[in-house]
Amino acid sequence: MTITAPERRRLRRAAFVAGALVASAGVCVVVVSLLTTNRSHTSLPPPPRSALPLGRPTPLASDAHLARWAPVSAAAIARRAPDPSAPPVARLDTRTPEHTRNIVGLLGRTRGRGGRLWVRVRLAILPNGTSAWVPRRALGGYVFVHTRLVIDRRRLQAVLSRDGRVVFRAPVGIGKPAWPTPRGEFYVRDRLTSYRSPAYGPLAFGTSARSRVMTDWPAGGYIGIHGTDHPELLPGRVSHGCIRMANRNILRLGRLMPVGTPVIVR
Amino acid sequence: MIGEELTVEVVAGNADHDEPPRRTRAEVLERAVVAGGALLAGGVLITGLPRLATSAPSPKQDAEILNFALLIEQLQAAFYAESLTHGRLRGQLRQFAEVVEGHERAHRKFVESALGSNAHGPPRFRFGETTSDPAKFVAAAVALEDTALAAYNGQGPNLTAPTLGAAARIVSVEARHAAWARVLAGQTPAPVAVDQPAGEGQARAALKRSGLLGG
Amino acid sequence: MAEDRTLRPSPSPLWPGGPTFDEIDPSGAISEAADRIRSTTRGGLLKQAGAGATILLGLHTPAAGAAAPASQKRDRAILNYALLLEYLQASFYTEAERMRALKGALARQAQVVGAHERDHVRSLRAVLGGAAIGRPRFDYRGVTEDPSAFRDTAVAFEDLAVAAYKQQAPRVQSKRLLGALLSIHSVEARHAAWIRYLAGRLPAPDAFDEPMSQRRVVAIVDDTRFIVAPAKTSGKKRPRFTG
Repeated sequence: MTITAPERRRLRRAAFVAGALVASAGVCVVVVSLLTTNRSHTSLPPPPRSALPLGRPTPLASDAHLARWAPVSAAAIARRAPDPSAPPVARLDTRTPEHTRNIVGLLGRTRGRGGRLWVRVRLAILPNGTSAWVPRRALGGYVFVHTRLVIDRRRLQAVLSRDGRVVFRAPVGIGKPAWPTPRGEFYVRDRLTSYRSPAYGPLAFGTSARSRVMTDWPAGGYIGIHGTDHPELLPGRVSHGCIRMANRNILRLGRLMPVGTPVIVR
Repeated sequence: MIGEELTVEVVAGNADHDEPPRRTRAEVLERAVVAGGALLAGGVLITGLPRLATSAPSPKQDAEILNFALLIEQLQAAFYAESLTHGRLRGQLRQFAEVVEGHERAHRKFVESALGSNAHGPPRFRFGETTSDPAKFVAAAVALEDTALAAYNGQGPNLTAPTLGAAARIVSVEARHAAWARVLAGQTPAPVAVDQPAGEGQARAALKRSGLLGG
Repeated sequence: MAEDRTLRPSPSPLWPGGPTFDEIDPSGAISEAADRIRSTTRGGLLKQAGAGATILLGLHTPAAGAAAPASQKRDRAILNYALLLEYLQASFYTEAERMRALKGALARQAQVVGAHERDHVRSLRAVLGGAAIGRPRFDYRGVTEDPSAFRDTAVAFEDLAVAAYKQQAPRVQSKRLLGALLSIHSVEARHAAWIRYLAGRLPAPDAFDEPMSQRRVVAIVDDTRFIVAPAKTSGKKRPRFTG
């Protein structure tokens, strides 16, 4: 039996009305049916379409470009070996001279005697590159960073990579021969803004690197990475050890480089 | 006409489940009329096709869904009971079957009492070698638990809130069973990050494929 | 170290079927925190400013928000609550994998389950968009670096996630959202069974899993003290570097 077009339209309208009636009045009013004992009928409503995208779990990327740091949550003695009786190397404070939270780069961990966890950390003391052991309990939560800053003293250039890919380059000023920027592996310890000091530009990063010669400098003689009010001197060997860059570049770096980023000075 | 099995096709919602969704109402009507339905005054079509629910939660729909859940629990309880009766399972498989059988029996009892007089009796199950051969047992258990949980997830959103609360207490246990069975089968316990729900038809088909539900 | 039992939390489980405090915290770090917390009442804990999950979910302040319908607001609150638990788990598994203290089947479980939890975080953030809470900072206090502490905490987390999702499901307004959350809820239950198996426990201890109220879940999470404030590494002092 065929259905003519007008009949089809009428059917469609009628069915729509019926559907609307049913939907508004509830199923019970209109349904004329007995519960069938035949359980092979498919009669249940379908599952709704999911609100979430289909799961796409991915494994972690390689940690070849990953660095770790942790805040110092309790003052502690950093020691030569992971043992409470090992010789002390330095006192680890919870605060930096800038009154920010002190942080340390993480290099390794082990279980000491008695099963306690010890962590090998990079220290911001002389000689540069010193590491020592602290109890895990002295540190807060681990933070992972994907960035890495390399300062090339020959090319007078700073290069920031993220997950191994270069994302930033800038010419820099480094220490004059009498006040060299020390070679080695360091980390960004804090960042300062909203201060008024044109010599440092709009933004300054503190690092764990110390000047070998400015040991009497108030606040310890730390090497910073910051802007400048003499960009015309860059690139060059012009500073007392700090790494300077043009203000627009330090601001750009500020958007790309989190605290804790390793700083490699070659 | 009352006294025969009648069904009413409600033409407002999706007409067919587990099939490509975009059927127009006109197509549905055409199919129904061709199948020999008659058009009542007011446009409500009485046909011989399966009855459809609107999928808006209601106690009546809860009962239908719970009867489907009951079938699944009856199937699971019978499957594990029969496997233990055959006595061919050893070690961890046996422990798994013993623990899970107790759970499924408790689930079945729970759903039965929720349905009261509306509860359907169990059909006859034929499990073949899935209950006597340990390797087939564990494969069937994986399929059974994965399917049970997909079916519960599929119907969950269609339940009223109180019934959903009750069903939710069961579905996570089915998921634990599924993961456990998979470990014993040497498979990954959690194959995907988000468990895909199954419609009723899909679930029935999966159970049939695993030799657990007749045609 | 001499153990004064009177100071440690009671040996009864934090929640039925869950590990005891001692099982989660062999290093004692968590129990020390709990000792400090136990001196305040439960109600007092929730009023303190330091409780991470309570703060992040805004549970002690009246919910601010635009003129969204109440049902949407509730769904959004449920999603953010789920997101918080997923952040907690994802960061936990991610750190465990990176610290490389786990071996064998436990390491594989952390890899697979971690990938799932990270995916859950992504999906929930995608759905919430700008309304998503930010990722908190975590301090796992060595738990991710010790296989048995990791394993016992993972059991606790997964069982907790199952109970939390289960409680919220009947409150969800959107059917599509409910479907999605049920699909995550069952995966968390798979995770729970898996890690229990690896811990030598019954993967499915009971015929019925019970829901747990948000209040209780949040109190448990706050008790772990895993959620911490970010370290203040920025400042405004004038630099005194060498220049």
